[in-house]
Amino acid sequence: MGAMRRGRTSPYVELLREQMAFVLLFVLVVVASLLSNVFLTPNNVINILYSSATLGIVALGQTMLLISANFDLAVASTVSIAGIAALGAYLAGAPLPIAVLAGIATGVLIGLVNGGLVVRTRASPFLITLGMQVLIYALAQMVTGSQQLFTNDPTFTELGRGRLFGVLPWPVVIFLLLVVITEVVLRFTLFGRYLYALGQNEAAARLSGISTSTVKLLAFVLCGGLAGFAGVVLTSRLASTRAGGAAGWEFDSIIAAVLGGTSLFGGVGGTLRTVVGVLVLGILNNLLVLINLPYEAQQIVKGGVFLAVVFFDRLVRAR
Amino acid sequence: VPRVWQVVSRQPILIMLAAVVVAFSITRGSVFLSGGNLTNVSRQVAFDGLATVGQTICLIGGGMDISVGAVMAMATALAIGLQPAGGVPLGVAAALIFGLAIGSVNGLLVVVARINPFIATLGTMVAVRGVLLLYTGARPIAGTVPAFAQFGSGVIGFVPVPTAVFVVALGLAWMVMGRTRFGRNVYTVGASVEAARLAGIRTGHVQFATYVICGFTASLAGVLLAARLNAASIHLGSDTGLLTIAGAVMGGTSIFGGRGSVVGGALGILALGLLGNGMDLVGLDTYTQTATRAALIIAVVAIGSFVSSRAARERLQAVWAGR
Repeated sequence: MGAMRRGRTSPYVELLREQMAFVLLFVLVVVASLLSNVFLTPNNVINILYSSATLGIVALGQTMLLISANFDLAVASTVSIAGIAALGAYLAGAPLPIAVLAGIATGVLIGLVNGGLVVRTRASPFLITLGMQVLIYALAQMVTGSQQLFTNDPTFTELGRGRLFGVLPWPVVIFLLLVVITEVVLRFTLFGRYLYALGQNEAAARLSGISTSTVKLLAFVLCGGLAGFAGVVLTSRLASTRAGGAAGWEFDSIIAAVLGGTSLFGGVGGTLRTVVGVLVLGILNNLLVLINLPYEAQQIVKGGVFLAVVFFDRLVRAR
Repeated sequence: VPRVWQVVSRQPILIMLAAVVVAFSITRGSVFLSGGNLTNVSRQVAFDGLATVGQTICLIGGGMDISVGAVMAMATALAIGLQPAGGVPLGVAAALIFGLAIGSVNGLLVVVARINPFIATLGTMVAVRGVLLLYTGARPIAGTVPAFAQFGSGVIGFVPVPTAVFVVALGLAWMVMGRTRFGRNVYTVGASVEAARLAGIRTGHVQFATYVICGFTASLAGVLLAARLNAASIHLGSDTGLLTIAGAVMGGTSIFGGRGSVVGGALGILALGLLGNGMDLVGLDTYTQTATRAALIIAVVAIGSFVSSRAARERLQAVWAGR
């Protein structure tokens, strides 16, 4: 306990906390380039960005929710059912923009249900969104008859496979744009300020006149909408989709946000920081594959990283 | 009659239990109500039921344990996998010790490291699942001791062995929670850690103990499952975390601690088990069943939170009004 209390005020721990993700990123890059000589090739770097971008979009929404001291465990199911909605609509003959909108609307709808239930009933977001995750997964299985949907129509896959100037894949461009937008929203809009206020002290936020219900609902809707959009991009990139296609993303998105320095306890963080967390996860994944670690061991490493990060978060933010 | 109403209003889960029984008695009565089927259900819910006993105690103490399903699966794997090396005694001992050890780790993470219980046990869940994958190589393992399997499928009179163990454990937990100082301390710590500390309760010890109990019941469930299936697989217990919490909450246990009962939790998991069994008999496919169950859990959690938060508001308003 003593160490924790001292840690709260020590400028070194403070600095490490602020820059933890950058330190981790730097260490990982060094280790990775020592372990594998293809790691730092431009192709591999773009690959890492490319494969991280869709999870990154989800993590942005998750970050905003975490800042407001909420979280959404239904994002993985949201991603896959939004992809199913978009590709399903497209295969049924809807024009591309309508198909994309269908995916985003599915995510928004799920966010509305999540947020509505949490706000109206004051239930714990943990049980509600975990229940929704299972419910939506089962619905996705029912809608698709447990079959994979796929396409080889280049119009549909352009969004996920095309490249800006033939270099930067669209998902990466979209991700970076969304990072800028969400960071601006968090820093320079009332809504952004309210999210931090809500996360730091909900009662105080309500007493100072903020409509906490509306802000919370909006945060859930944004998270759902971004997850829906990520589902569309992912489906377009893979040219296929299925129920359960994004399994584990609910935890990966939270890990990415917390790695970047957003607190699990609300009130602290930002989406720009989440980019670093997303990159750390992306490199870790890339590295574990490059050095041929078996899948089981990869899971253990990720679980260990998760625990370490959470422990560190707890340590530096001991209340 | 008023007495009956009192009991029912204290355990709203009884209404749901009655609704499930009535609904499937009408649609599939002859099969659903047969002795053989009810015996089956009692055996099916015994494993998750045992884990729910520990989960309920953990929740009452203000904690939560997401790792129960992983612990159960790992205990099953140890009980089966160590049979060639040291027979049934080694397998069972290792499984139970594993449960106690993971319970202790969870307790330390929550009490000493002060990590949010949901996050801490989520971490151990991921870690235990990883160890399970490594240990089994993702392949199912078959048991080699027929007597162990006979025990798991056996009956005492007409009561299946897992059911009997579940009922005994439930009775013990009911006694401990209602009649002992430890039980009262768990309720007090769950209601307010600060108040409990001021009242001289060693809150850390109490919380730690609830996680150890929870790990133990989960591993005991795993051992019984091993005996029943005479096999282990990595897929066991994948829903157990959510189901045990849902069962406890449906049975009136507060997710924020301080309120609830192990009997309520058992009734909750029984209601979920009867629902699953009835849906099987009606012939619903797996995913329709999953969706129904999830929707039901969301509804129960939402309604429960709504009612209790309104009650809290009304109490607060009463205080402000000077009553």
